[in-house]
Amino acid sequence: MLTALREVQIPLLAIMLLGGCAAKAWRALSSRSVTAGMGPTGLFPVHLRRPITIMMFLAELSLGLGLIGTAGRIPDAASRLPATIVRTATALFFLIAVGALNELRQRRPDSGCGCFGELSDTPIGLRTIARSGLLCASAVATIGLPALRMPSSPRQAELWLAGLAFELALIAFLSPELGEVLVRLGYSEPCELRRLPVGRTMSALHASSQWRKYARQVSTAEPADVWREGCWRFAVYPGIVRGRRVDIVFAVYLQARRPAIRVAVLDADTDEVLGMAEPRESAVF
Amino acid sequence: MRHLADIPRWCDDVTESASPARFARRSLLKAAVLGHPGESDFPAVTAAGYGTGTLETPLVYTVTGRILDVSPHILVLLTERGEQRFPLAASAEAWRGGSISPAALRRGDHAIVRRRFPGGPVVDRIWAGVGRVTGTIIEREGPAGLLVDEGPAKGRRIVMIPPEAAGRIQVRFPRLEPGYLIDVIGLKHDGFLRALIPATSQPPYRAGHPPAAPMVSGHVPDPVSGTAVWHEPGEEPENLLGLAYPALDPETSCEHGRAIASSCSPEAHAVDPHATGPGCVRLPYLSVGSLLRLRNDCTERTRLLPVTSCGATARLFCDRCVTCGTSRKGRIADLTMAAFVELGGALEVGCFNATMMIGG
Repeated sequence: MLTALREVQIPLLAIMLLGGCAAKAWRALSSRSVTAGMGPTGLFPVHLRRPITIMMFLAELSLGLGLIGTAGRIPDAASRLPATIVRTATALFFLIAVGALNELRQRRPDSGCGCFGELSDTPIGLRTIARSGLLCASAVATIGLPALRMPSSPRQAELWLAGLAFELALIAFLSPELGEVLVRLGYSEPCELRRLPVGRTMSALHASSQWRKYARQVSTAEPADVWREGCWRFAVYPGIVRGRRVDIVFAVYLQARRPAIRVAVLDADTDEVLGMAEPRESAVF
Repeated sequence: MRHLADIPRWCDDVTESASPARFARRSLLKAAVLGHPGESDFPAVTAAGYGTGTLETPLVYTVTGRILDVSPHILVLLTERGEQRFPLAASAEAWRGGSISPAALRRGDHAIVRRRFPGGPVVDRIWAGVGRVTGTIIEREGPAGLLVDEGPAKGRRIVMIPPEAAGRIQVRFPRLEPGYLIDVIGLKHDGFLRALIPATSQPPYRAGHPPAAPMVSGHVPDPVSGTAVWHEPGEEPENLLGLAYPALDPETSCEHGRAIASSCSPEAHAVDPHATGPGCVRLPYLSVGSLLRLRNDCTERTRLLPVTSCGATARLFCDRCVTCGTSRKGRIADLTMAAFVELGGALEVGCFNATMMIGG
């Protein structure tokens, strides 16, 4: 059982290191700056930040590849040395990370850890530090482990999977990045953040039954005011109702098809509400 | 399809608009059409309010004016109501480039003052000559002079860093180079700001490349928590109670400035915040005149504030305020000085942790 748990650590550590590496590279490419995601490099003077960022990237890459490269069959005891060196270096890397993150949390409490590029902008908390501690312990557990091999029995495979699932769940719990990943996977821009041209709102309004109902009372072709609040865009038209100067206010819900439209008529001089059309459907915000 | 440019009067530029009453009526019209007429949560913002800086609920803590006289016990200010005398609390503190005794303030200085109790006569905080520059460095002249672009809505400012403040500022702003962001507080002089205090830490990215904001699941949470900062009045009335909002509707507001800015500013390092995406915090699009309820989480004071201008430069800063704990998000509101002080903020600190309720 214990050996199965220890064996799981090697692929897990390699995935974490290479994943962090890929996320950092993506951020550097998209922002066109190596030092865009500061993380622990913020502890160093400016002229050292770029080389340290590159060094961290190379360290993660070489440790991740090294863990995979040295995990296989080892013919004799002397050949275990590279594996031991890589695993010890990995443990040391995460130990340093614990110290650096703790220091960064004290000195720059507004900074994210930058561990997984732009996914890691949340200020460093105890969870992030605990994750590095867990990975350090995982790396220590792999030192002295014989070569990885396929499970010899279904029971051993089950143990592998159970160990992996438990540890993944623990890492997920300790990772503030997970929420961000889940949001990105199922993301669709909510209406209050979506850009929608005024022209489209006006087309939807002019095609509506509410517009036809009030069109004869509107006295200008163009609205006196148009503005937006969240998911609603408002248009105010001056008009005349039974000889009184009025403002006819249309509120159009910002959705592509059949938007909800509400209307209110106010006395232009006193702002008294003279009438409100029933909403066709209710909408939020 | 009609385009915005065809109907220029929709533009939400408070300073240039001939009729600020249009913005003042928006909350009332919104309440009427969405079915909240007469709700106490939607007090009408008077048209006069946009001109004088007063809502129907006026400034109760804050007074602005020019110092006519000061003694250890009395401060005499020339305000918009004329000459006013304020007794100073025994614990009163003053700031003029640093903490000083109130008696050391200079006659003729412009001051913003906070009362100890709402509407009461006694004053306990005074800031004299305080100013702030927030934006992108577009030129550096020598070791001390910077030209800073505050965005299309605010224009450019000159910042001079005196030798005694250079170390303090360079620790937090190590890259005083064109293309990088700066946010400093100091003393206003004719034509420039004498920078004395770093208002935040410099973001590591260039101004034109802020990181993408975290995406939101479902609708944007309301209320939203983050950082509130302040800006100098500029063209606005000095006692305006309002805020510059980072996400005005691009179809009818701020982004009008883009074409003008790009045609007038050939500098390679001038950054139009509208061209950099949604910025560091995703906020719902609003317009000038929208009402927001803002709470200072550190003092627990809350005020209903109208959006009075465009705060797009705030989009470029992904910093967090650490005045009372670490704020949950970056900059969500750029308050007028009067609103910042009214909510209990300390101008020399530069920010407070805030919670913003959208729609009042």
